[in-house]
Amino acid sequence: MADSQYILEVNNLCQHFTSGHGKKKMTVKAVDDVSFGVRPAETFGLVGESGCGKTTTGRTIIRLYNPTSGEVLFNGRDIASKMNGDLRRYLTDNIAMIFQDPIESLNPKMTIEEIVGEGLKVRGMKDRAEIRQKVIEMLRKVGLVEEHATRYPHEFSGGQRQRIGIARAIIINPKLIIADEPVSALDVSVQAQVINLLNDLKEEMGLTILFIAHNLSVVKYFSDRIGVMYYGHLVEVAKGDDLYRNPLHPYTKALLSAIPEPNPLTERSRVRVDYVPERDHDYSKEQPSMVEVEPEHYVYCSPSELKKWSV
Amino acid sequence: MKWIDRNNLPEELKNLPDSSFESLHQEDIKDEKFQTKPVGFFRDAMIRLSKSKVSMISVSCIVLIIILALLVPNITGYSFTEQNLGNKNLPPKIQGLEKLGIADGTRVLENRKKDALSDPDRYPEGSVLEILREFDSKGVAMVDVKVDYYKYVGAEDNRYHWFGTDYLGRDLLTRLFQGTRISLMIAFFSVLTNCFIGVIYGAISGYYGGKVDMILTHVAEVLDGMPYIVVTILFMILFGSGMVSIVLALTITGWIGTSRLIRSQFYRFKGREYVLAARTLGVPDLTLIFRHILPNCVGPLITRVMIAIPGAIFSESFLAYLGLGIKAPNPSIGVLLADGQKVLLQYPYQTLFPAVLISLLMIAFNLFSNGLRDALDPTKRGEE
Repeated sequence: MADSQYILEVNNLCQHFTSGHGKKKMTVKAVDDVSFGVRPAETFGLVGESGCGKTTTGRTIIRLYNPTSGEVLFNGRDIASKMNGDLRRYLTDNIAMIFQDPIESLNPKMTIEEIVGEGLKVRGMKDRAEIRQKVIEMLRKVGLVEEHATRYPHEFSGGQRQRIGIARAIIINPKLIIADEPVSALDVSVQAQVINLLNDLKEEMGLTILFIAHNLSVVKYFSDRIGVMYYGHLVEVAKGDDLYRNPLHPYTKALLSAIPEPNPLTERSRVRVDYVPERDHDYSKEQPSMVEVEPEHYVYCSPSELKKWSV
Repeated sequence: MKWIDRNNLPEELKNLPDSSFESLHQEDIKDEKFQTKPVGFFRDAMIRLSKSKVSMISVSCIVLIIILALLVPNITGYSFTEQNLGNKNLPPKIQGLEKLGIADGTRVLENRKKDALSDPDRYPEGSVLEILREFDSKGVAMVDVKVDYYKYVGAEDNRYHWFGTDYLGRDLLTRLFQGTRISLMIAFFSVLTNCFIGVIYGAISGYYGGKVDMILTHVAEVLDGMPYIVVTILFMILFGSGMVSIVLALTITGWIGTSRLIRSQFYRFKGREYVLAARTLGVPDLTLIFRHILPNCVGPLITRVMIAIPGAIFSESFLAYLGLGIKAPNPSIGVLLADGQKVLLQYPYQTLFPAVLISLLMIAFNLFSNGLRDALDPTKRGEE
């Protein structure tokens, strides 16, 4: 998938966690050979069930974990290589992250001004008045008021806290935002509010967003392209509409069949598809790989499966 | 109301373009100002603390003892080193209270020869107050007699020792509060150094984890395994008995508890999302440790310090009791207790007052730390 049109390019990324020594040594392949690319100013959705490695992928890209192997190119520069001061600076200047839990992700001992202004402080801005002004500007952008700057996180509601998290991420003017399930802890009306805010900011600031979620309706609403992950593998990548209209991989089909229908009549006749890897795949003879079935539509399959599915 | 089946929709409604839909939520998000004042962590804790009666009483007790320790040695008119062998072992005598029959400077002398009572050299004028018992022993007339001990030893009329004097005639009130001063200072300095070393050691061990943690933990365990009394005696030999060597002796293993506490707190907090968030912003390790993680450990730390202070006072008394206390003539509560217990049966007041004071200190500090623990408990945040 080497292509310079991507702002973020992930090639054969592996993240394995080990525990124990000697005979007790265990390896968990949280992310195994994942490749995808994100274009500038698009929203790339990463979906999958709990524990499939989507969060780990996001965290590895921003180097909260050191990748086991593979490369991550950001604007052509490898950001998965050995960490040094220069790379850290490049990474943190360009990529920001929004976290899942609005309660956990804000330090309870710091005021909102300190939390949001942290990014500027780290970048060497010393003038307190200047930081304050910038913080207030960001707070306004996310719909909060100036007076909130002196408050502590526990005084805010979940939606407000998530918006504070967004303000913290955008204050450093990043090019890419990794949004790790930013709305899954919020109720539906607030979800819409936060998603719309992210959409507005994306247009206003020309952001690229890597959107990690398990809620398919949210992803469909928000993402240009979607990657489906299962057990550390990326099994299908396609444009949002293509994926919903023509899912190829059995796991994608299973995932889509799990979306409840708003209409009770059709909901009653909705058939859930099960995905059992042992039954659905026979990889004893041929190895699966990522294949481009249609333009922009990739699926992880073996040659015989490809013939069967693309009929 | 009839459900609309998607398959029975009129043809023109089936494939509507997205542009014909409009979101209901179009207005800008605008939040209200809060009506209340901002409440920070410590303010919140203080509000809760001030509502607990027990904490307030114990805190005033501690403050009172500290004030007394600062003032009393300067205003009694005696110095804590001033010896007066003529006035040794005087019982307590307090102005005002003497008229009520308590702390009036009297003592019962047992088994005295009756004849000697009339000898003004041995029993000065007015010193004999009451003959309690007359009896005969081997043909000699004997008495138990209650005397005004101050007159008996020939002390001046205006001499008052509230808590009595010790075997060298030193004023015990002055010595007790001078001793409290020294004990509190030893406790304060040892806890301070313990905290300082423990926090840094525990923070490094907990934050970096892995091999660093393993090595640091084992080093601490080896230190912890050393017999504490032996180490203390070695310190006394090396540095002589004094405040410095006692503080050092209390520090040598005392910091390990603090470092374990901080280490476990760091393990608890370093994986939190707000720490990860700070890391994704490029916050350096030192700032992460001291600005982001440590402030969240401050509750357990303060509680621990508050428990460690009476612990240190107690250890110091224990060492003094074994004769490893600070150098004479400096008193500490432990030294006074050790001196007092030698004459416990004859002069019980010499043990009583230091014992009451150290008990008060212990109880007050322990109750206060209990109250603080509850007040700093994050799960009670925002109540009331």
